[in-house]
Amino acid sequence: MRVKSIMAAVLIAGSAWVSAAQAATAPKRVQVTGEIIDTWCYVTEIMYALGTAHHKCAIWCAAGGIPVSIKGDDDTVYMVLKVEGDDVTVANPKMLTIQTHQVSVDGDLYVRDGVNYLIVNAVADDKGVVNMTHEDYGIQPFGE
Amino acid sequence: MNRSVLTAICMTLAVSGAQAAEEWGIEHEKKARVDAKVVDLLCEVTGECADNCGNGTRQFGLLFDDGRLVPVVKNFDIFAGAHEDLKAMCGKRITADGLMISNPKMPLFALQFKREAPDGKWSRANWFIKEWSKANPGKPGKAWYKHDKRVLELIAKDGVYGIPGLKAAE
Repeated sequence: MRVKSIMAAVLIAGSAWVSAAQAATAPKRVQVTGEIIDTWCYVTEIMYALGTAHHKCAIWCAAGGIPVSIKGDDDTVYMVLKVEGDDVTVANPKMLTIQTHQVSVDGDLYVRDGVNYLIVNAVADDKGVVNMTHEDYGIQPFGE
Repeated sequence: MNRSVLTAICMTLAVSGAQAAEEWGIEHEKKARVDAKVVDLLCEVTGECADNCGNGTRQFGLLFDDGRLVPVVKNFDIFAGAHEDLKAMCGKRITADGLMISNPKMPLFALQFKREAPDGKWSRANWFIKEWSKANPGKPGKAWYKHDKRVLELIAKDGVYGIPGLKAAE
């Protein structure tokens, strides 16, 4: 009897642990609307890093393998780890071609240690580059 | 644009000979020499893994002993990430020397030097340009971004603003 009680307690505790682990790693299905950005320049604010003013630099950084993110319309930053089934996120050709674009994407969101990691399942809408910032900020970072 | 910060970074990249991390004047930065395991972020976060972390095609992170995960977003080369520096260290414990940037938007690590822990040989985290130069013989590695074929093709197609037909002011 006592053995059965102990086994039951172990099983209950074990299943609770498994549930917690699954909850911690389970993604949340999301739709994100925002601008494709270079993670480094935008987060560190070493220069103005949005829109047309920063497009060329964003291409440089994506080609250099710096992670690409989406700045949501609510200013949340989502680092992209996979896009439309392609697990290449170092200089991904698709991400290079849509850099600075205003997009809506369907994806799976994983949040860990203050970072929003996004698996982009589909780019549902792509309005191209619409954030016209160059008249105020020129061409970042070298002005040419 | 914060020109002073950018200038400081460019000057550091150009002339520094130090063997320890240098401050770049970035808000929330802190010099950090840390021991951690090099992991494939996609694998660590989602469980979708690849041999040898995808051989440098996936983004890397540092996994600390307490389970904390921090993405490595930058190396020591201008406009470049750390994939070339870390791809041979997939799954290994390293000592990473650089900047821990604890920005509220998201934390990130900028790698300046690395070695296998505990006593491997230090090397500067500037392997992107080394590899780019091997793949682009005769082109100036320090200005790789001005000579990269992918960049040139995209700028030629869409222009510097990303909008075909919209020209830069003279």
